[in-house]
Amino acid sequence: MPALGKSITRLDIRTKVQGSRKYPQDFNLPGQLYGAVVWSAYPHARVRHIDTSEAEAIPGVVRVITYRDVPVNEYGINLRDQPVLVPEGGKVRWQGDRIAIVVAESEAIARRAVEAVRVDYEPLPVVSDPLEAMRPGSPLVHEERGTNVLHHVRVRKGDIAAGFAQADVIVEDVYTTHAVEHAYLQPEAGIGYIDEQGRVAVIAAAQWPHDDLHQIAHMLNLPEEQLRETVPAVGGAFGGREDMYIQHLLALCAFVLRRPVKIVFTREESIRCTGKRHPFVFRCRHGATRDGQLVAVEVEAVSDAGAYASTSIPVLNNAVSFLAGPYAVPNVALDGYTVYTNNAVTMAMRGFGATQPPVAYEQQMDRLAEALGMDPVEFRLKNALVPGSESALGNRMPPGTAVRETLIAAARAAGWEEVEGHWRAPDPGPPSAPYRRRAFGVACAYKNVCYSFGFDDRATADVELALDPSGKIARALVRIGAVDVGQGVHTALQQIAADALGVEPARVRIALVDTSEVPDAGSSSASRHVYASGNAVLHACRQAYEKWQEALREETGETRIRARYTFHGRDIRPTTPYDPETGLCEPHISYSFGTQIALVEVDIETGEVEVLKMWVSHSAGRIVNPAMAFGQVAGGIHMGVGYALTEHFIQQAGIARTRRFSEYAIPSIRDMPRELVDVPVEVIDPTGPFGATGLGETPTLPTAPAILNGIARATGVRITRLPATPERVWRALQGRGAPDQPRGDR
Amino acid sequence: MPQIRFVLNGKPVELEIDPGERLAYTLRERPGLIGTKIGCGEGECGACTVLVDGVSVVSCIYPTTKVQGRTVTTIEGLAPEGDLHPVQEAFVEHFAAQCGYCTPGFVMSAVALLREKPQPTREEILEGLSGNLCRCTGYYQIIEAVEAAAERLAQRKEP
Repeated sequence: MPALGKSITRLDIRTKVQGSRKYPQDFNLPGQLYGAVVWSAYPHARVRHIDTSEAEAIPGVVRVITYRDVPVNEYGINLRDQPVLVPEGGKVRWQGDRIAIVVAESEAIARRAVEAVRVDYEPLPVVSDPLEAMRPGSPLVHEERGTNVLHHVRVRKGDIAAGFAQADVIVEDVYTTHAVEHAYLQPEAGIGYIDEQGRVAVIAAAQWPHDDLHQIAHMLNLPEEQLRETVPAVGGAFGGREDMYIQHLLALCAFVLRRPVKIVFTREESIRCTGKRHPFVFRCRHGATRDGQLVAVEVEAVSDAGAYASTSIPVLNNAVSFLAGPYAVPNVALDGYTVYTNNAVTMAMRGFGATQPPVAYEQQMDRLAEALGMDPVEFRLKNALVPGSESALGNRMPPGTAVRETLIAAARAAGWEEVEGHWRAPDPGPPSAPYRRRAFGVACAYKNVCYSFGFDDRATADVELALDPSGKIARALVRIGAVDVGQGVHTALQQIAADALGVEPARVRIALVDTSEVPDAGSSSASRHVYASGNAVLHACRQAYEKWQEALREETGETRIRARYTFHGRDIRPTTPYDPETGLCEPHISYSFGTQIALVEVDIETGEVEVLKMWVSHSAGRIVNPAMAFGQVAGGIHMGVGYALTEHFIQQAGIARTRRFSEYAIPSIRDMPRELVDVPVEVIDPTGPFGATGLGETPTLPTAPAILNGIARATGVRITRLPATPERVWRALQGRGAPDQPRGDR
Repeated sequence: MPQIRFVLNGKPVELEIDPGERLAYTLRERPGLIGTKIGCGEGECGACTVLVDGVSVVSCIYPTTKVQGRTVTTIEGLAPEGDLHPVQEAFVEHFAAQCGYCTPGFVMSAVALLREKPQPTREEILEGLSGNLCRCTGYYQIIEAVEAAAERLAQRKEP
C-alpha cells in the first residue's frame, strides 16, 4: 500500500498537542546565563562612543559583549554587509542594528542592564522612501557603494513599441505593496553553549542550519567542524528564519563566555528588529488586442531592500521573472531595482518576490478584461502559459504547467460555465444588506520551486536500514538537514522513503536536524524540500534498497545498510542567470500554480471588506499528503487575507510604529472566509519525486489580488495601495463615488 | 518571596514566586511545564491559555497570586501522561497543528468551550477560539477538530 497520496498522520503532531514537543525557548542548561540585546536607538546614526561601565557595575551582570569581542565583525546570507555588533565610529543603519549583548545571571537583570548601556550617537539624515533613495544626492546607507541602488535587472523581449502599437486596449497604473511581518507565533529564542566535544553549539529555530554555520564560522574565524547547530521544533518560519537574527548572537555569547547563554526575544523585538516582506512599487503598462491576446507588458518594479542586502537581490530577480504573470506575452520590457534605505531589512517571506507582483499583474489583467468586455476567466485562459509556452523570460514552460487546469477547476467550482466557447460568470447573488456591494474576484499566480538563476539546488540524504534477523527492513533512519518549520516536510519525506523502500511509514524515522549528525539539504524555502530533499531521499532509499537486495542475494548477513545521495537541480534542469543585455534566461527548475476566486462584500458606508467564500485550486504535481496540502493552502490564504486587508508593518522615517500583536493584526479565526472550497488538481512534473513539486508558497499569491479584483468589481473602485483597510477603501469610494446599484460580477 | 498554594493538574503545589510574577512564567520556570507557550506577552495571541477553575485565561498577563487556593489546568494536565484528551485526539486526526506553537493554547480554549457548550454551533466555535491566533493553518482544520471533539465527547457521555 503506497503511503504517497494518503493523509498519513503527521509524525510530530502527537507531542505538539500534548505540549511536550520542545521549541528553542523550552531548553535550559545547567549554569546558564541570560542575554539581552542593546538595539540601536536610531534608524541612521554614527556611533561615537559606547560606555558599558554602568551596566557592568549592576550586580548579576556577567559581561557586556561589544564589537571588540567579535573576531570578524560582519555577516549576511548573501552579502556580508551587516556588522554583528556596531563598532564605535561605525554606523547604525536601522533600528534592528545591535550595539551590545548584555549577559547576566537572570533575564530581568540583563534587561535592566540594557537600559544602563550608554551610547553616544550622532544622528544622520534618514532615507526611508526607496524612490527618493534612488535619486542622486540622497543620503547614502552604505557610503562605500556610492549609490543606494543595490541591484538592477532588466528584461527586453520582442519589440515593446510594436507590441503597444498592435494593442487595441492599454491599461496603466501604479501599484504599491507594503511591508509585512512573518509573525510566526514562536519568537526568536535559543541557547548557545560549548558542547561535550568543545564545539560552539547553538540550539535555535532556523531554516538553513548548515548555512548558519557557514556564516558563524566566518564571524568567529573557526572551522565549521568546531561549530554545531541543532534545530528542535520550529514555531513557524515563512522565510523569516532564513537569515540569522539570533543564531549568531547565541554562538558569540558561548564563544566569549564558554558558558551556556539563553536569549529569548520579546514579541516587540521580534516585530521591530527582524526582517520584513519587501515593499514594492510597480509601474505597469499592459496592452491587449480586441480578441483578447496579451501583446505587451511593460513594468518597472522598485523594492525597498531596507538597511542591508539580506536576500534582496535574489528576491528581486525572482520578482522580475514573474512580473508578466503566468501568461504568454511576446513583447516585454521589465526593469527591477532594489534599493537600500534606513527601513527594516527586507528578506525572504513566503513567495520570495513572487507574492507582490500578482497584486499588480492580476489587477492589470482584470482591467484589460473589463476594457475588452471579456469574462476575467476567459481572458486569462486565452493567455495562460501551457507546457512548452514561452515565458516573459524566453524559457519554455516545463511539463506540470497548470495555469489552465487550476483556473478551470476553481472557476467551475465557483459556478462559471462554458457556453458555446465563452465563459460565463455566475450571479454573485444579492448583498446581505442594502449598503453592501458584492462580487467575485479572480486571480491566478505561479511560483518557482527550488533555487533559480544558476544557483545549484542541492540536497543530501543519508539513509540507514536496520535489518531484522530474517533480513527484512525493521527500521529506516533518514538523516537530512531539511528543517520541518511546521509545514510537515518530515512527514512528507517519511512517506517518500516508505514508498521507495516498500515499508510502512511507521518504520521510517527522520533524524533530529543537528548539523553534527545530518548532511546539508539546503534551506526550508523556495517550496523546495518535497522536490529537492524528496528526490535526495528517494534516490538514497532506492540505492539502499538495491544494496539490501544484493545483500539478501549474496547472503552476507549484514544487519545495517547505508546509502547517501546528493541531489543536484542542475542535473535535471540547469538554470542560468539573467543575460546582462536581454535578461533572457532559464530562470527556474520547476513551478507550482494556483487560482483563487473570492466572493467579496464591501460595506460602502464603512469601507469594510468581508471575504465570504473562496474557491481555490492549486497544482504542485503529485500531492504527497492531501490533508497537509490543504493545510498549506488554507494557511497560505490566511497570510494572503492579512496581506490584502489587515496587516501593515508601519514605519515612519525608519521608526517602527507597529510593535505588538495588538497593533499588527494577523487574521483571527473570524477574519477568514466562512467557507473555503479547495479543488486541487495534480498535473505531474515527472522530475519531482513520484511527480511531486512543492506547495508551500503559491497559495499565498493569488489571495490578495482576488480580493482586490472583487472589491473593484463590487464597487467600481480600484485599490492600488495595500493594505485595503476600511479607511482606504472608504476614501477611495468617496473620491470616485460608488455606484448606486451593485454591479455584480460583470 | 511570596508563597503560593494551588492545585496544579490535580496535585496540590506550593511555590515561591517573585512579586508581580505572571502565571505563564511561573508554570514554565518553576515546575517546568513548557507546554504553556508565550507568543506575545500581552494577552493577544492566546498561546499561553490555561484553565483556572475550569475557565480559560491568558496566563502571560495573569498574576500568579490570583491562583492562590484555586485549581489550574495546563495542557499537561488534560490527560494521564502519554494519553490524549478527546480534544487532543481530534486535533491529531484533523491535522489541526502545523508548527504547533499555538496548539496547546487552542486545545485549552477548545476544552473550555466544550465544557461550557458541549454542542457548540459554528458561530460559538468561532467565538470561543477568537482569542487564539494561528499563523500556519488558516484555522479550518482546527474548527473541524473542535466539531469532531464535540461529537466524540457527546458519544462518550451517552450510556
